[in-house]
Amino acid sequence: MMTDEPVAETPSPDQAAATTPAAEPGIEERAVTVTEWMADRGIFIFTALLILAAAVFIDGFASLTNITDVFNRAAPIGIVAVGMTFVVISANYLDLSVVAQVATSAVVLIAVSNEYGFVLAILAAIVIALVYGFVNGVAVGVFKANAVIVTLSTTFIGLGLLRWVSGGSIYFGPPDGPVRVFGSTRLGPIPLSMIVLVAMTLLLSFVLNRTTFGFLVKAYGSNREATRLTGANTAMVVIGAFVITALAAMVGGFVLAAFSNTAVSSMSTGFDFRALAAIIVGGTSVFGGRGSVMRTLLGVVFVSVLTNIMVLSGLGFGMQQMAIGLLIVAAVSVDALARKAGTS
Amino acid sequence: MSEQPTVASDAGVGTRPVVDARNISKAFGGVQAVDDVSLAVVPGEIHAVVGENGAGKSTLMRTLSGIIAPDSGQVLVDGVALQPGDTRAALAAGISLVHQELSLVPEMTVAENIVLGSTPTNGGFIDRREQRRIAAEALEEIGVTVDLDELISRLSMALRQFVEIARAVARKPRVLILDEPTATLTPAETDYLLDMLQRLADRGLAILYISHRIPEIFRIGDRITVLRDGQHVDTVDVADTDPDAVVRMMVGRELEATLGEHREADPGEVIVSAKGIRAPGVNGIDLEVRAGEIVGLGGLVGAGRTELVRAILGADPRTDGEVTLTYDGVTHRINSYGAAIRAGFGYIPEERRTDGLALTMSVTDNITLPNRRHLSRGTILERARIKRFAAQLADVVGLRPPDVSREVGQFSGGNQQKVVLAKWLGREPVAIVLDEPTRGVDVGAKAEIHRLVRELADDGKAVLVVSSDLPELLELSDTIHVVRDGRIMGTLDRAEANEAAVMALASGQTAGTSAGSDTTSEVDA
Ligand SMILES: Nc1ncnc2c1ncn2[C@@H]1O[C@H](COP(=O)(O)OP(=O)(O)OP(=O)(O)O)[C@@H](O)[C@H]1O
Ligand SMILES: [Mg+2]
Repeated sequence: MMTDEPVAETPSPDQAAATTPAAEPGIEERAVTVTEWMADRGIFIFTALLILAAAVFIDGFASLTNITDVFNRAAPIGIVAVGMTFVVISANYLDLSVVAQVATSAVVLIAVSNEYGFVLAILAAIVIALVYGFVNGVAVGVFKANAVIVTLSTTFIGLGLLRWVSGGSIYFGPPDGPVRVFGSTRLGPIPLSMIVLVAMTLLLSFVLNRTTFGFLVKAYGSNREATRLTGANTAMVVIGAFVITALAAMVGGFVLAAFSNTAVSSMSTGFDFRALAAIIVGGTSVFGGRGSVMRTLLGVVFVSVLTNIMVLSGLGFGMQQMAIGLLIVAAVSVDALARKAGTS
Repeated sequence: MSEQPTVASDAGVGTRPVVDARNISKAFGGVQAVDDVSLAVVPGEIHAVVGENGAGKSTLMRTLSGIIAPDSGQVLVDGVALQPGDTRAALAAGISLVHQELSLVPEMTVAENIVLGSTPTNGGFIDRREQRRIAAEALEEIGVTVDLDELISRLSMALRQFVEIARAVARKPRVLILDEPTATLTPAETDYLLDMLQRLADRGLAILYISHRIPEIFRIGDRITVLRDGQHVDTVDVADTDPDAVVRMMVGRELEATLGEHREADPGEVIVSAKGIRAPGVNGIDLEVRAGEIVGLGGLVGAGRTELVRAILGADPRTDGEVTLTYDGVTHRINSYGAAIRAGFGYIPEERRTDGLALTMSVTDNITLPNRRHLSRGTILERARIKRFAAQLADVVGLRPPDVSREVGQFSGGNQQKVVLAKWLGREPVAIVLDEPTRGVDVGAKAEIHRLVRELADDGKAVLVVSSDLPELLELSDTIHVVRDGRIMGTLDRAEANEAAVMALASGQTAGTSAGSDTTSEVDA
């Protein structure tokens, strides 16, 4: 209550004076090994190189239609990934249930708007997202259950429920409905989905870097007990991380549905690992405590461009999947090596 | 600098060094942690290595044991150069290190931990009989009895430390390196450990011994190597020097005699009141701390002091009892840890690495953590203020190097402890609980921390200190409660308190408050 209020900012002058700051020789940057550098800066260079190489060597890459298409496809996963970054930074690995959340949000958006109107559909989706966020967050944050197991279970429950209620059918929106309008609107050459992705990234980046909540997510990911012992409500930190992920997944579902003006329970298969790939390729540590939303955006660009290159080169889905898998293994290994180097 | 004797004079039994480290240098980025240091140890010698926090002691030992590769220089064992940065080679050559931070696996048994890394196998399966035999032999060698099948997590800190040493001894080393082994031990346990090291050395083992406790070094050391800012200052025979000279070499200047200085205590109103506290390990304790008073909790490691303060704060649940914090005419009931912190408690926990610090975050971030509300407007953090705030506090505690943007994990042990202190000083708590506030802290920094603690009390705060360091406890406390088996065995005020009286109550040798009889120095391990 009252003592949470300002406590003198300036330590008494005599205290400050009594300790002479040791005049130290330069203590600037410490030695940066190749792995640490890779984990830190690699993604910028790789993304730039990849885009450059694609523009030069891949036919059809550098066309406006292709670029817009890449972003249109990247947007839903990207939006999910920037949200899920919070769960990863809080050292809770990932939220597998984004698969169920995205599909549910998409189906609710189209099916409920068809029956009861657009506003109600949005409200319903928000309520569902909050339920997902709280259930996952309470199980992990309050009951200290393992996030992978919890979210695997909620995926089953959520997808099961969705399939049962929807009967697995495809929902189409009316050709002139608000969903369709959203999906087809462009600002100049830029599709709205891309603007949503960028806006979400900026917003969540602000939340992570500048608010006390975001700061606590990082601190919790770095050392949960030490964070608890500073008086933080750590259960709320975890719940918050899962709620943000759920809200982002909801927006991702909207964008995904708007893209084709259709929704079906199976449309978000693979979103969990694709989002995770973007997050860790971006350089957010799976050990928690370190990472950024901006980096995740970069990771999304990288993964999407890579996928696009493979598509344009005629590589099949199997090859694409393998490449993403390899990418995750590589990124996680670099992360682990960098962490080891950093604390040796 | 002074030339290094490759052939030791009369220091030990043998004359040829077992380990001969030549011109070792190691930098971490801009920090020259070890700068062209040479060191030779002969069989049967106890060679002490001293220096301030961050002087490079641990780094040097880690290069000797192959955990890190030096940038230049080499380590010779019996004249043969070791592969740098190869732990296995160092172990095989007979160099065993007992880490500064305990490195046992809590959920494994004593026997499993002792053989860890060289688990004996038989046709691919773990040979449990052999495992137990090796473990039993190592424990016997150091003269400690403990159940081989007990889980480490159920042992006291002291016993864990002994198991850690048994693990090093089980490798049949020729050189045993101990990095601040007594930081977690009580005086009696320390005595026991020192005698044990002496016995091992008498049998020809070479021992490298790091400690901030100068008296220990003069008791068992043969030679002393002093490091300062990564450089080798001198290596001297213990017989030819005295504690003051060593401290002078360590800090490079005269240290003001702040130790032992007493404060005029003028306790005011009762601020902290704890009644009938019960929790696992705590069996009904009443306790009060007044404004401007420093209350000390003495006792052996494992007596229940940490459990007691955690139960008072609500950091661990208590099964019974009531705690209040009263100031400015308002009484706050403390029913949860969150309530304790909100009401104005500060807590410096015993285990800084697991409970005190987010090691992968910067000093600034760690300092921001408990002060985040104060340092934000609404919910938005104010970066410019945070920066100033952190730099100021780092200055107050004398952080070295004073670079607050560095990750805490990259600071030396003693400096990490200063960061924990800085975190809470910024909050200006009404009442502060310090559990082993100077563990692993060098003489100079210790005096600094003591001064800060006294200033807190002079400012009218209520201070509760747990310390196993008797001189520290006696120096700081206005009142000492001695705890054993989760109960207060006696209370000593400043006039009555002395080492013998505290130890007598702590070990249960005598009941009552005025114990005059001498204490035995036995560890029932
Ligand atoms: N992994 C690391 N990364 C960066 N700097 C490091 C690392 N390890 C040690 N240092 C720096 O090297 C210097 C020497 O540290 P070291 O741990 O050897 O000191 P020490 O003499 O053992 O101190 P203490 O008595 O506090 O344990 C310090 O300035 C420390 O900050
Ligand atoms: Mg050290």
